Amino acid sequence: MSDNEFVNEAIERLEWNDAKVEATPQSKARAVTRRVALGGGAGAVAAFMMAPAAQALAASGSSVFGTGKKYHFVFVNHVTTNPFFTPTISGIQDACNLLGCSYQWTGSETSNVAQMVTAFNTAVAGNADGIAIPLIDPNAFNAPTAKALAKGIPVLSYNADEPTNGRLAYIGQDLFVSGQEMGQRIKALVPSGDVALFIATPGSANIQPRINGAESALKGSATKYTVTATGAALPQELSTIESFWQGHTSYKGLFAVDGGSTQAVFQTIQKYNLRGKGVKGGGYDLTPITQQLLAAGEGDFTIDQQPYLQGFLPTLELFLYHASDRLSGIADVDTGLKFLDKTTVKPYNSTKSRYEGTSSKVGVTNS
Amino acid sequence: MTPSDPDAAAPAGGEAQPRLPPRAALSPWTLIKRFLTMREGSISIVTIALIVYFSLSIPAFFTSSNFQTLLTYFTWLAILAGGEVFLMINGEIDLSIGGVYLFAPLLFYEIAGGGISLVPAVILTILVCTGIGVVNGVVTAILGVNSFITTLGTLFALEGLTLIVSHAEQLNMPGSAVSTSANGSSHLGTFASIFGAGVYSELVWAVVIIAIMQIALTRTRWGLHTIAVGSNRIAAAEAGVKVRLVVIRNFMVCSSLAGLVGIMEAVRSQSISPDPSSSNSVLLDAIAAAVIGGTLLAGGSGTIVGAFIGALFLGVLQDGLAIKGVNADYLDFYLGIAILFAMLINVYVGRVRRRSGVG
Repeated sequence: MSDNEFVNEAIERLEWNDAKVEATPQSKARAVTRRVALGGGAGAVAAFMMAPAAQALAASGSSVFGTGKKYHFVFVNHVTTNPFFTPTISGIQDACNLLGCSYQWTGSETSNVAQMVTAFNTAVAGNADGIAIPLIDPNAFNAPTAKALAKGIPVLSYNADEPTNGRLAYIGQDLFVSGQEMGQRIKALVPSGDVALFIATPGSANIQPRINGAESALKGSATKYTVTATGAALPQELSTIESFWQGHTSYKGLFAVDGGSTQAVFQTIQKYNLRGKGVKGGGYDLTPITQQLLAAGEGDFTIDQQPYLQGFLPTLELFLYHASDRLSGIADVDTGLKFLDKTTVKPYNSTKSRYEGTSSKVGVTNS
Repeated sequence: MTPSDPDAAAPAGGEAQPRLPPRAALSPWTLIKRFLTMREGSISIVTIALIVYFSLSIPAFFTSSNFQTLLTYFTWLAILAGGEVFLMINGEIDLSIGGVYLFAPLLFYEIAGGGISLVPAVILTILVCTGIGVVNGVVTAILGVNSFITTLGTLFALEGLTLIVSHAEQLNMPGSAVSTSANGSSHLGTFASIFGAGVYSELVWAVVIIAIMQIALTRTRWGLHTIAVGSNRIAAAEAGVKVRLVVIRNFMVCSSLAGLVGIMEAVRSQSISPDPSSSNSVLLDAIAAAVIGGTLLAGGSGTIVGAFIGALFLGVLQDGLAIKGVNADYLDFYLGIAILFAMLINVYVGRVRRRSGVG
């Protein structure tokens, strides 16, 4: 697959989803921004890859961009060991291999903001060539960002954003908006009656905004909801959702905002044969079991937000920022809100790749 | 009770009854008093009260279907806590059970992926976990590093190793696949039914393991030495107890059980999730179950049956709150308050027990 095809497919995926909702001036603007950012990136990458000499010089990128410097980028993260970000790390690695950069993956394992600030400051003190960070706190990162920018270090946010921060751009899904979209989808599936919303760990900055978004969409509608915490460990999440179902067998839908709970929702639906009772189910992210059960019809949807792009694109942007001497490189990119259903999840099941964190090998292989 | 009394935990599980002097003299009240002042008595009462409360307030609680779900909350926890009790009686602690819990299913995946059939792969995996226990034990008992630090080290190392080997990818657990038949009912394989996914499988494992360990603690030389080492290490050594061997052996048991639980829970959830945040919460729950059940953090005394009841208490609490549909933001608050309340009752009854000289 050429790089152009990859980016085109990415754009198609995003627009395919957008096409499902009515076009608004906002969504059109989003599409244009995305095309410019991704297309621009693709142009650069494609030109780079197609030049025969570039293959030999791939480690430096100097033949295309006229810079031989090996940039070092620091990615601060709030849950460094969470499997969700495995494709993100693959994306950073791939972009670094392409451009001859190096990277560091650091931060906190447990959404500890103080640890993240420390990691951020260390990167600034170490004169990183660029920093990318999920802004999971409204204020904590303002001063470090200002300090980095004053030092000439570009700062991007990925995965989670806070627009009041001085970061140059955001690459990722809008968590709150994604929750709202899920809320709309829930209303369409269950126009009236009770539904459950599950969240692994309330207050976690990468999932709480989704449930807030879903609540804001459901408030005042005929779809009544309850919010339940399920816990950090997958077996525990499964037990909690099974218990919840025992106590709420009249509910018409079970939905979740994190990967583990989503898998557990589908497993509960399978175990108690709830599809036979017309119970709807859906959630976020793509664990292997989630994919299989969705394809088997044990749920209605899961939302993919392309974590690979959340690593690949920030690296590309930070590199271009330097390569173009600040003339280009920085752009907001919405990595999307891609609802997958029984049919569209199939290619995910039949393949293994770095793009979905199901393989660490290069390329897409059939599983 | 004197801490060095090897029969300290003997009244557990009713086993002590035949040892009691003339039974004819016991009035029902005395029996109740004896039960209440047993090490496991107070937490049993609290647990029963909790079950009654949930049964009365939630119609769906006291049903066979919810009973089956309840099992998935506490049976595996009881096994983990049981292993931990042995070490805690020793005056040691094993934090690495979280790491072993996380690492074992991945190791099993790699071994089974290497072409070894499932049951031998389980045995091999557990043997490796036993080896991890040996490392913990040797570093603690022979090299003299505090067990909290030793096992904190192995906890992090194993969590890191899990992330490295798995490339931080979530994997499907071998042998755990659930098939759905045409009429919509789902079916388990024999392996999965035995190792964790069968409705009563974890219960059977827990009851058998807890029974064996309780007998080992109260009826064997090993148990006697364990308590002796925890009560007064120097005195035990001078009395000829091989202190280091006792500690190493208990670390081995603790790690092996954590490995078994790790495999069973991965089979039940069909997934190997390499995220350390899950193992850390499991670790805390196991220690909490042991302490709630009546084992002292300081060592010297403890009860395996108590750990089982402590796990049951936590399970009933979590299941009840989930089935009630408690709002997400309130859940931890209720859990915390309930645990505090239960422990206050525990401590109070313990004080009464000491004053009355019973147990």
